[in-house]
Amino acid sequence: MSDIDFTNFSSSRMLTVSKRVLRQITRDRRTFGMIIFMPLLIMLVFGIALSGEIKNIAIVVENQDTDTSEAAGIVIKNALDSDTRVSLKEGTYSSAINEIEDGKLSAAILIPADFTTNLQQKAAGGPDVTLEIRIYIDGTDPLIRANIMAALQDALSDALGDQGVQFDETLAHDGAEQSGLDVAIPAVMGFVLTFLVLLLSSLTMVRERIGGTQYRLYTTPLNKMELLSGYVLALTFFGFIEVVSILTISVFLFGATVAGNFTLLMLAAFMYAIVHVLLAVFLSNFAENELQAMQMVPIIALPSMALSGMLVPVDSLPVVAQNISNFVPLTYGIRLFEGIMLKGFDLGNLWLDFLKLGVFLLVFFVLSVLTVKDHNES
Amino acid sequence: MSIQEYIVETKNLVKHYNKGEVKAVNGLDLKVKRGEIYAFIGANGAGKTTALDMISGVLYPTSGTIIVDGLEIPRERKRMAHMIGVAPQDVSVYSDLTVKENIMFFADLYRLEKAQSNSRMKELLGVLKLEEKENELVRNLSGGMKRRVSIACALIHDPKLLLFDEATVGVDPVLRQWFWKYFKELSKKGTTLIITSHVMDEAEKADRIGLIRAGVLIEEGTPAELKEKYRVQTIEEVFLKLAGDEFINE
Repeated sequence: MSDIDFTNFSSSRMLTVSKRVLRQITRDRRTFGMIIFMPLLIMLVFGIALSGEIKNIAIVVENQDTDTSEAAGIVIKNALDSDTRVSLKEGTYSSAINEIEDGKLSAAILIPADFTTNLQQKAAGGPDVTLEIRIYIDGTDPLIRANIMAALQDALSDALGDQGVQFDETLAHDGAEQSGLDVAIPAVMGFVLTFLVLLLSSLTMVRERIGGTQYRLYTTPLNKMELLSGYVLALTFFGFIEVVSILTISVFLFGATVAGNFTLLMLAAFMYAIVHVLLAVFLSNFAENELQAMQMVPIIALPSMALSGMLVPVDSLPVVAQNISNFVPLTYGIRLFEGIMLKGFDLGNLWLDFLKLGVFLLVFFVLSVLTVKDHNES
Repeated sequence: MSIQEYIVETKNLVKHYNKGEVKAVNGLDLKVKRGEIYAFIGANGAGKTTALDMISGVLYPTSGTIIVDGLEIPRERKRMAHMIGVAPQDVSVYSDLTVKENIMFFADLYRLEKAQSNSRMKELLGVLKLEEKENELVRNLSGGMKRRVSIACALIHDPKLLLFDEATVGVDPVLRQWFWKYFKELSKKGTTLIITSHVMDEAEKADRIGLIRAGVLIEEGTPAELKEKYRVQTIEEVFLKLAGDEFINE
């Protein structure tokens, strides 16, 4: 700017502007409340969510090496049992494979019956003895896989020292093995959808209400359901465009894997978008202006990020946070996107998560219907 | 069934806010005849807009009854919607739509046939002198033009009752004159108009005037009757005699 002139700079005029802005913000009680409340809430949620390490990864350990009470297999299993990173479930190696393929378990470990015998032979200098443990593991989440392997290594080293145990590792989901980026994309997709759909929808709704045009609509034959459905349809259309663009960028630019059915993925993303359109329609009732509407978005999106398993697996969250995560739509969005994209799941594996997302859709729809207005209530 | 003489009748209409602390409308009895232009005048805050909002069904009354063309409002307000046209005080049209898109949006809400709405829109664009602005975004129009667009939206479905809240506020004298000429034409065709205003010389052009003060109708009659009764030359003087204190106290 050519007319910047510091010689005539008046600090009192500057303060006049500052005072006026501060007065306006503090007078908007909701905005002022959010300025105080938002950092508290977000730091609290993130603090709780990120306080724990990875823990309670569900695995099955089938130990066939039980000839004596001091068998190495028993020692290894006990060591794993006391490791908080993993949580040992009942079951056999072969039965666990199906559960891993269904996404209910992360790994199955088989310690063979001759493990101690082989160990003793090897210690005695036996020539062709291989010490082997079989592992069937879900390789679609590198973080979880690394933690299981680290827990196993620690258990082996505690029990045996360095004995050169080999792992016969089989990857679940037809050998699917993902990089950090692959694994991040479904969760990021869910988060971006949450953020953008909420932002666009709530701003549109508030602008519609404060623009004075809604008053006029009340005088026309347009009824509540027509009005609500009209909004939802239009906003869903934009949600759909966002779904398409996010998927296109993920797949074509970042080379994200879509191991499962692409149409099912579109359906999941579309349904997820509608849930957030309806949530925004409902929440917009509590915003008096566009600033307030904009502040609502991070209030929903950031805690969702912390509580949905996006940053750390839900099983590793504190119990309270785990319970709350059941009420976070992003939890199911991520499960669906990860399931379809990384694990190649179909409706057979995912129907329950679809159903839960459907429950959110229904609840937010009812809340929207109950709160949408067709006359001035003041 | 005989057609009632009055198209709008309110009886002891009340609207209170803040648990009765604010009495916006406080026992209003109003009777508007079919086909007349009824000017509803009063100072700012007298209760004109609140009363009009209740008649149009936008605002629910605290108590009292409203009958519009035999329909009980607000209970039957969606049945009434087809027969009323409302132009609110704020120019409530969509600024990021064109003139034509705004008018057609309302035509579609009334589910008019395409051909019917097209010809009606053309007629209104002509009457309201908006033909050349048909494809212009409303945000680019002057205040007077925006108001004409707002009136066109209220008229698209050819309603028999028009509720115009301060329809001519902010409009230059030439355009205001022209508006009133158009209102008279509508009235001649049988349309009833209720127009609120705080501009007194406008009220003189109405068939009848109702003067509202503190939410109550304090005087009613034709312009001539009122001037004669208070032995004054203008409606403004009538108004000042009746509501002057309130006006000054505001």
